[in-house]
Amino acid sequence: MPKKKIATIWLGGCSGCHMSLLDMDERILEIARLADIVKCPIVDGKELPEVDISLVEGAVTSDEHLREILHIRKQSKLLVALGDCAVMTNVTGMRNFFPLKDVIKTSYLNAPSNDAQGSLPSHPALLKLHEKTYPLQEFVKVDHYIRGCPPDADTIFHVLFELLHDRVPDITSMHTLKYG
Amino acid sequence: MATIDIQIDDRHLKATPGATILDICRDNGIDIPTMCHLEGLSDVGACRLCLVEIEGVRKLQSSCTTKATPDMVIQTQTDRLKNYRRITTELFFAERNHFCAVCVANGNCELQDLGYKVGMDHVRYPYLSADCDLDATHPQMVMDHNRCILCTRCVRVCAEVEGAHNWDVMNRGFNARIISGFNTPWGESTDCTSCGKCMHACPTGAIWPKSATMGKLEKNPAMIGELVKKRRMDR
Ligand code: SF4
Ligand code: SF4
Ligand code: SF4
Repeated sequence: MPKKKIATIWLGGCSGCHMSLLDMDERILEIARLADIVKCPIVDGKELPEVDISLVEGAVTSDEHLREILHIRKQSKLLVALGDCAVMTNVTGMRNFFPLKDVIKTSYLNAPSNDAQGSLPSHPALLKLHEKTYPLQEFVKVDHYIRGCPPDADTIFHVLFELLHDRVPDITSMHTLKYG
Repeated sequence: MATIDIQIDDRHLKATPGATILDICRDNGIDIPTMCHLEGLSDVGACRLCLVEIEGVRKLQSSCTTKATPDMVIQTQTDRLKNYRRITTELFFAERNHFCAVCVANGNCELQDLGYKVGMDHVRYPYLSADCDLDATHPQMVMDHNRCILCTRCVRVCAEVEGAHNWDVMNRGFNARIISGFNTPWGESTDCTSCGKCMHACPTGAIWPKSATMGKLEKNPAMIGELVKKRRMDR
């Protein structure tokens, strides 16, 4: 049987979910025996190839994220929302209560840590933030949801291990669900 | 004492006349989720989680406010009821702003526990992002409407047990809000005795003591029921 392909992708999140992924420790070797990790923020990869499973961290916050998540859906047999930001925007959604321009000004001009030299980022290569952030399922079909901020390494391993064996992971029971 | 015969989930049970279906279920180890019910307070049937099916009754009934009558046949765990419980739970999360990761009640919250119990891995409805205030004017406690599910446990405990009736409900539906006094800051209330009962009765992180830090909240809602029991003359 050919090895399956996994991608892990980082959209609007803090990378904490990927830290939990690494917290699987030596069990990553178990995963590597069953699948190739073909794209991941910590390996260099340009285009997302067709994959069996993609784990997506973070919410959709910008034009770039929206393009990416639509592309990810097209390329992935199974799409897993990894962590609370991907599932329900979580911390990244707390800016939804304020106009975007106020949020940007607060961050880049008026932050207490700012020395009055601040300027608004405007380079054309930068992504364009949307007025609000959205969870993944707002734009694409999500096949599985891993909750938690950050999610437990045990849960991530369970999900990957089950999916790699063509089984449905149990992520709606008392012991695997965790918000926050 | 006289008893009546009823049937719940195919079990034949004896019950005290006048007991609610919820009480009978809890006495017999039948698990029905609730949010607005709290031992020691009157029941209002507000949260709709405890709905049950009663044979011969077309509409679902809230078990906390429906008294068992002789020969009633009741179902509490059908797929239809489980589906409604999940929907109700999702609507709680969609209606207000629950960011568990940064909530004082994280890990000690009845709403979180409910989500886990009904297997809610995500919310299928759009988040309404309600515009809610936070009232930190009370010297010891905070009222954060972002996390309030309008169960009215605070309203009832303050009126029925403390006798102060500081809290009430203003407006309807999506705009409903728990208010202190006549919608004035909690810290200015002349009714509130600062007893803390509302904080303990509140099932979520909506009312919390200023001394608690993130995820370190401790509440003791069972204390309300014990207090009421101890006060009864005929105990
Ligand atoms: S009140 Fe409960 S459900 Fe709401 S954010 Fe706090 S911990 Fe989460
Ligand atoms: S602290 Fe006591 S008196 Fe004050 S609002 Fe809460 S229950 Fe009522
Ligand atoms: S503040 Fe707490 S107890 Fe009062 S209605 Fe809201 S959730 Fe219920």
